[in-house]
Amino acid sequence: MVEHTLHSISLFYPEIIIVVTLCVIIIADLVVKKKNHTAGWILMGGFGLAGITVLLQAGRNESVFYDMVAVDPFALFFKVLLLLSGIFIVFFSVNSDELKAYKSRIGEYYMLLAGMMLGMLLMVGSTNLLLMYLAFEVTSISSYVLVGFIKKSLRSSESSMKYIIYGAVSSGVMLYGISLLIGITGATDIYGINAALLAGVDQPLILNISILMIIVGLGFKITVVPFHFWAPDVYEGAPMTIAAILAVASKIAAFGMLIRFFSVSFINAEGISAAGVWQIFDALHWDLLLGAMAAMAMIVGNLTALMQDNIKRMLAYSSIAHAGYLLMGVVILTEQGISSILIYLFIYLFMNLGAFYVAMLFSNKVNTESIEAYKGLGHRAPLEGVAMTIFLVSLTGLPPTGGFIAKLYIFGAAISAGWIWLVAIAGITTVISLFYYIRVVRNMYFFEPETGAKRLHFTFGSKIILLLMLIPTLLLGVYFTPLLEFAQSSIKILGLN
Amino acid sequence: MATYAFVLLAVLAVASALAMVLNKNTVNSALFLVLNLMSVAGLYLLLHAQFLAIIQILVYAGAIMVLFLFVIMLLNVDEEESLFDKFRAIYLVAFLLGVVVFGQIVYSLGGVTDLLPEISADMAYVGTVEAVGEVLYTTYLMPFEMTAILLTAAVVGALMIAQYKVKTSDQEE
Amino acid sequence: MIGIDWYLALSAVLFIIGVIGVLIRRNAIVILMCVELMLNSVNISLIAFASHHGDITGQVLVFFVLAVAAAEAVIGLAIILAIFRNNLSIDITKVNLLRW
Repeated sequence: MVEHTLHSISLFYPEIIIVVTLCVIIIADLVVKKKNHTAGWILMGGFGLAGITVLLQAGRNESVFYDMVAVDPFALFFKVLLLLSGIFIVFFSVNSDELKAYKSRIGEYYMLLAGMMLGMLLMVGSTNLLLMYLAFEVTSISSYVLVGFIKKSLRSSESSMKYIIYGAVSSGVMLYGISLLIGITGATDIYGINAALLAGVDQPLILNISILMIIVGLGFKITVVPFHFWAPDVYEGAPMTIAAILAVASKIAAFGMLIRFFSVSFINAEGISAAGVWQIFDALHWDLLLGAMAAMAMIVGNLTALMQDNIKRMLAYSSIAHAGYLLMGVVILTEQGISSILIYLFIYLFMNLGAFYVAMLFSNKVNTESIEAYKGLGHRAPLEGVAMTIFLVSLTGLPPTGGFIAKLYIFGAAISAGWIWLVAIAGITTVISLFYYIRVVRNMYFFEPETGAKRLHFTFGSKIILLLMLIPTLLLGVYFTPLLEFAQSSIKILGLN
Repeated sequence: MATYAFVLLAVLAVASALAMVLNKNTVNSALFLVLNLMSVAGLYLLLHAQFLAIIQILVYAGAIMVLFLFVIMLLNVDEEESLFDKFRAIYLVAFLLGVVVFGQIVYSLGGVTDLLPEISADMAYVGTVEAVGEVLYTTYLMPFEMTAILLTAAVVGALMIAQYKVKTSDQEE
Repeated sequence: MIGIDWYLALSAVLFIIGVIGVLIRRNAIVILMCVELMLNSVNISLIAFASHHGDITGQVLVFFVLAVAAAEAVIGLAIILAIFRNNLSIDITKVNLLRW
């Protein structure tokens, strides 16, 4: 028993490092008198160190802490993505003007960011419904607080309240589903649930309800229609850095959890196959249901984004649409489908964080989030304008950017699995999305800046960070073989072959 | 005997839950919730979860509800909130949703008709502190540690949000 | 002896009352209390299943649900306090600076 725990700990360094970082930040916040971004640099170090230990786990494929957490290539891929986005978010926070006014509380901000990261790391690794729920809640509770960080602004506390009410209700529904699922299968880990499903459960209806309820909770986190109502309000009220982490990292974590839950608990005895995934439990057409949700997310997200003037709301609706595109891969759930989700998420990380970052830089300098007020900004800030253009083109999915490759693979996977109507909707909505992305570019370039408006100057450091996101977005559009190999080697989920 | 106790506690739980939702006064709502939690604790006893019944009263009814009442008193929000003065579409939606989901759940529960097993020797052991603690610190060690982080994050977050005076840099200048 | 279905039905009833409460009430504190009611009803079904299977797991899960419920209540009440100080109202229909 002790040996097992010790062995588990040896495979658990990344999470332990995050916990230690969290404690160090609390202590540093008490000791260090000069309130600056000290905690941010500590957190950055913690994320970096955790990233290294994650990479050292390459090739491991085992289960630790009494089948609670899986350390497998699939989790490794997601952990790399999460830590990468965490490091970017810390960079953003250091450069954010919004947070500067709250120097006295910045320690708590970074501490909660560490807590959120821990929750997300466990979300993608956990193979037990209880730990899934707990990790989900740790992520949620940290993010409820972070959304309301700018307390002086009523908008921020209000969006935080909307978030906690929606979040608490949907996680309550998910918990009810989990309790029913545990009750009828008699198992808490997803392998046990799979075994019970294979043996046949005599209450198919209750099983349907329980899984629908679990989809409610996960759908809330990945902001898929019809559980998306909170996203635009919360993104608008939250600090820009937190909106970015909600749009990118927590979505990535929720997709990791969703894929692991469905692909492990629903596989048939022969292992994963195109039609076999959903066959074990076909009382309801799960693939059709998820496909309808994906289509709804694409349509609603893209059409509503057309009408937005606030850049954060626009990006919120665009992230709902992207959740729809990603969900297409879950509908298929073949090896091809999963690997195309992984590719999409990797590229989505860079392009969406990049768009949020440029929006943050602009709001630092010109103090606006309105797209109308972006007129002429392209002339006043050449590098940032070009970068924003590239990120938006990539979000649309046009070559030669990474977004094209992402969409290409996920559409290809859907076509080869025979989901033609879904791909048709995705294609049409992609064309629609061009309009609102291009509107930002048009405002930046096709209008002369007001007379007397000076050029905007950004620090050298902020330009370096911008390039760190810009270069991968462009590079992945032309040279993506390493990413392809990384994704294809990462679809090994523990328990599947 | 157990049947009568169940019927009594269940009726009490449902009635107090309804009273909580439909009561105009916030303080009364909170007190009805306490009653609900107490009767649910009684149900735990019927299910041989002795330790959890105590925890339910101590943590839920004792700590969480006191916090709720404290905030209600602090904010002084006991003004009457008109609940049913005008018909709102959301009532209809809520009612229909409730009926549909409830119907589904109860219909599906029709399949689960097994009786609870009679108390055997090991069943009596199940709900005790020893039995719960043993599992909690072996198999569920990892989630247990996770709760520590959860509560730390919650405490720090609550302090940060509820802090009265926020020093911002523009005030210092 | 009462069957497990009665306990599960009771849990479903309480859960639905909680959901309806969240939908119809406008007072944020009462909404949080309704969420507590929902989590509490989950606990009933978990314990009923635990007793049905003669298995301790369900009871252990209740602990974690309790911890989560406490954390959620604390954060929710803190946010309500912050809003009340800014706005002097906790009626969620009045708090609508943000559009849908």
